Amino acid sequence: MEETLLQVKGLTKSFPGVVALSDVDFTLKAGEVHVLVGENGAGKSTLAKCILGVYKPDSGQMYLNNEPVSFSDPKDALDHGIAAVYQELTMVPYLNAPQNIFLNREPEYKFTKIINYKKMEQEAKSFLDILGCQDIDLKTPVLKFDVATQQMIEIAKALSFNPKIIIFDEATASLSERETELLFLQINKLRQKGLGIIYVSHRMQEYHKIGDRITILRDGKFIRTIQNGELSDDALVNLMVGRDISQVYVRTPNVYEGECLRVEELSDKKGRVHSCSLTLNKGEVVGIAGLVGSGRTELARMIFGIDKPRSGKIVLNGTDITGIPPNLAVKMGLGLLPEDRKRFGLALKASLAWNIVAVGLKIFFPSGFISERKNIEIANKYIKLLNIHPPDVRRIVRQLSGGNQQKVVISKWLAAKSTVMIFDEPTRGIDVGAKMEIYSLIDNLATQGNSILMISSELSEVVGMSDRIYIMKDGYIIDHYKRGEKTEEEIGKLMVLGKLC
Amino acid sequence: MRISKIKESLINTNYLFTFMALLFVMGISTLLSESFLSGDNLITILRQASVLMILSSGLTAVILTGGIDLSVNNTAALVGCIVAQLLLSNINIIVVIIIGLLIGLVVGLFNGFLVGVLQLPPFVATYGSNMVVLGLATIVMQGAVIYDLPRNFTPIGVGYLGPIPIPIIISALLIIVIAIILQKTTLGRNIYMLGSNPAAALYSGQKTVLITLQAYALSGLTAALGGIVMTARLNAADANMGNSYGLQIVAAVVMGGTSLLGGEGGIFGTVIGAIILTIISNIMNLIGINSYLQSLAVGLVIIITVWFDIFSRKQREQRKASIS
Repeated sequence: MEETLLQVKGLTKSFPGVVALSDVDFTLKAGEVHVLVGENGAGKSTLAKCILGVYKPDSGQMYLNNEPVSFSDPKDALDHGIAAVYQELTMVPYLNAPQNIFLNREPEYKFTKIINYKKMEQEAKSFLDILGCQDIDLKTPVLKFDVATQQMIEIAKALSFNPKIIIFDEATASLSERETELLFLQINKLRQKGLGIIYVSHRMQEYHKIGDRITILRDGKFIRTIQNGELSDDALVNLMVGRDISQVYVRTPNVYEGECLRVEELSDKKGRVHSCSLTLNKGEVVGIAGLVGSGRTELARMIFGIDKPRSGKIVLNGTDITGIPPNLAVKMGLGLLPEDRKRFGLALKASLAWNIVAVGLKIFFPSGFISERKNIEIANKYIKLLNIHPPDVRRIVRQLSGGNQQKVVISKWLAAKSTVMIFDEPTRGIDVGAKMEIYSLIDNLATQGNSILMISSELSEVVGMSDRIYIMKDGYIIDHYKRGEKTEEEIGKLMVLGKLC
Repeated sequence: MRISKIKESLINTNYLFTFMALLFVMGISTLLSESFLSGDNLITILRQASVLMILSSGLTAVILTGGIDLSVNNTAALVGCIVAQLLLSNINIIVVIIIGLLIGLVVGLFNGFLVGVLQLPPFVATYGSNMVVLGLATIVMQGAVIYDLPRNFTPIGVGYLGPIPIPIIISALLIIVIAIILQKTTLGRNIYMLGSNPAAALYSGQKTVLITLQAYALSGLTAALGGIVMTARLNAADANMGNSYGLQIVAAVVMGGTSLLGGEGGIFGTVIGAIILTIISNIMNLIGINSYLQSLAVGLVIIITVWFDIFSRKQREQRKASIS
């Protein structure tokens, strides 16, 4: 019989105007991975933050090893053996792994108080070894590592506190599928060592792989705790969303009339993309399946004109647009939904109204003078069309959820009448409900004669949505298939291995 | 209903604390000197503030893009010196003014080129051009000072239109023009969006280099106008006449609630910032505090205002974040 490590009873937390958690129960046993699922705003992160002492609950009680506890801050929780690994990495980029792991608590020599680097490296190495990361160079600044490796160092840091419980809050949001697999391997090791693990995630396919039990939250309420495998995916999603979702990827049959984008033998200057060719027809959704780092994003940036190609040709609606800057590409109807919406897609400090008209400013206000009323009218139209929440044109975009932010980026391009759009990871970090809205939007756009080039590392999404799929690996487009020609598993194999067996 | 709406818009605006700082400084000044609130003195303050307002108005646009222009004061000096030299050679005053403005425009475009095309850090690039224009001004003047400018030129700085000093009218008109550019045109909108997130501006197909060039050009133009008014007011020109303004120009913008990170703020804050800075030196002159202490007091007020502004902004953010 496993012992119960942590028990939460009747936890309630409200913020001015919102009840974020109401009467939530939760238990965590030693040696189990307990997955917390729910849409954005369901209260997963609030629950994690209450456990970590970031927020103080309004009511309810927490028991650690059957002792009632309450934490004043994360440091207090850490002292009680609860550590956290967050989605955003919290490391100092120019320091190396040992320096990051022991930041602010470096081992010192007794009298001189000078940092004992030798001891620091030994201890860091011992924690990295536990994670099976023997080959991480201890002298290299962490910024030189890829995100997955950095994530491992972050976990080593959490381990160095000798915790009994580790909370992973959306820890895989920036990892590729392969990197996620590696992470799961390590989480399994931690589970076997008897740690209790709380795993907060958006990604459906992860729950089964990692979870022992799954707790579903919706609108701040506890819905149910189930054993892994007790419910089908569909049933689980229905519980999360609170409504019936019969089909995730809906595509309307469509006729493709004429080519609108052709890329011929395109290579970049940095050696990340090698003579890639593809075509896109009017009314078609074409997917590019590839791992993170396969050159997908670089290819998209070149087509859009952010980077200049070394060789090759890009033809948009019959016009050669090779090497032209983004502002001209936009004028000709090309749009790009960038991979990282916060960094490249949105003016976070500005309002919904301002962001929605940002691309089409010249079209709406050809005289150069802005009419506030017209701006608000246009914004309201797209807020309604895309069901953006909250429907408040003056709302600062930073305050919206990920899904709604993504809808704002999409509406920028719709408002500017873009007809050929590149969607790079359109549903990353977005909850299930908003994902489905974006899928049906993509389908609608195609039906209306627009064309979409969709880049994604989420296999089921790219297979489910695309009329044709190009497979990209190590900077090459290695093959392409029509819808239904290959199964999801086969595409996945091609993506990772480059061949089927 | 209406009052609560006004209250709400005041709380949501970046100008709230700037405005309160203005009321605070005015209140203290009224207590310190009876003559402070007299109509004559208020007009004097506005007249003194007008050059600072003109100089910092174009800079506001640059700071909104997330950049900075440290060359404003010496660009003004260079233009003042050239204008004075040309006036002494009996060239038509309109032609002289146009030449002066063009020089400012060229300096601004040069800065815009350094920042937008060559991608130099604005702080260093414009600090460099500040030295360059100061050097040019010194060459133009050969170390001399010019006094007694033509009678038809000085009214720009000291004349009246009815009861109102001409510099006040010039600065008011300029501020209206810049407010329209920033609030009502696509250029202004692009300036805000560029400052808010330069990468997103590029990914939205905006002509980021052109916007940068235009913002710095505007700053160069207003620096030149400020230089012309300054020269007319002093009825003299010398290469170092920009010194007294120095970083006060930047301080006026920042005290007005415009974020040095770009994307937030606006011209009306800058106007209030310039007025606050002028009131402080005005009241200290009225009650006879020596000039060493003046510098100290101005410095403290700048620090306190900016601290208040940052503090209030954080409070607002937190309140909004906890609601959503």
